[in-house]
Amino acid sequence: MDTLSKYTVSFGASLAITSILSALLVVVKELNENSVLAWMKGLTSHHWITHGLLMVIAFFAIGWGLAKMNNGEGLKITPERLVCVITSAIVIGGLIISGFYLAD
Amino acid sequence: MTEIILMAHVLFGMLCIVAGVWLFVDVLHANEANQGRIKRVSIAVAALMWLAYLVGGYWYLTYYYVDKAIILKGPWPFAHSFFMEMKEHVAIMLLLLATYLPIAAASNTAVNKGARKVVLWVVGFIVLIGIAIDGAGAIIGIGAKVALMATKG
Repeated sequence: MDTLSKYTVSFGASLAITSILSALLVVVKELNENSVLAWMKGLTSHHWITHGLLMVIAFFAIGWGLAKMNNGEGLKITPERLVCVITSAIVIGGLIISGFYLAD
Repeated sequence: MTEIILMAHVLFGMLCIVAGVWLFVDVLHANEANQGRIKRVSIAVAALMWLAYLVGGYWYLTYYYVDKAIILKGPWPFAHSFFMEMKEHVAIMLLLLATYLPIAAASNTAVNKGARKVVLWVVGFIVLIGIAIDGAGAIIGIGAKVALMATKG
């Protein structure tokens, strides 16, 4: 009984993807203040609100999309691989954010 | 009023960590009897994280600019330039982890060892990152304090 549900896998993979996307968006927006950061500020009055909203929307959209793969059966990954993917993404995402502000 | 908002932010964050530790222990000892509680506590962790995020976000967007100006002029400018900047963005990752938690915990962790492993890792990250972010918040507070002390001579 070690098969994960399609939502556990799909939204777990989405968590990993959006964590990396979020970290990359930090770097991109901070390095492009006049374009990306300004656009994000203009969208909701503060870049941080836009950042949070985009990531939450991306998390649900990507998770939903991955759950629809394989004729509705969703993405197939073993529990060990899913844990490895999530762990790697969280660690790499955290390092990108911390490293960027440490070097800034 | 601003202090109450800030304290509510910390309170919700701390309760999220406590509920996370509770969930971790419950999932370690997962059985048929505690499945309902595991699902309820996982929802509580997510709800508390969302409350901490929204209340903290409101305070950050409305009142923090005063503290930020003070911190940047003080002896600990890194309290903002590193710790606050890092905290506000790692918090988004923490929010996603907490949002995912009830989805993973919806499986029967008593019989599905794979699901149990996923929930343990996710809630483990929530607790560890939560503690790190709480520490960052303390450093930001001290950054403002030492800046004010410096102006008083």
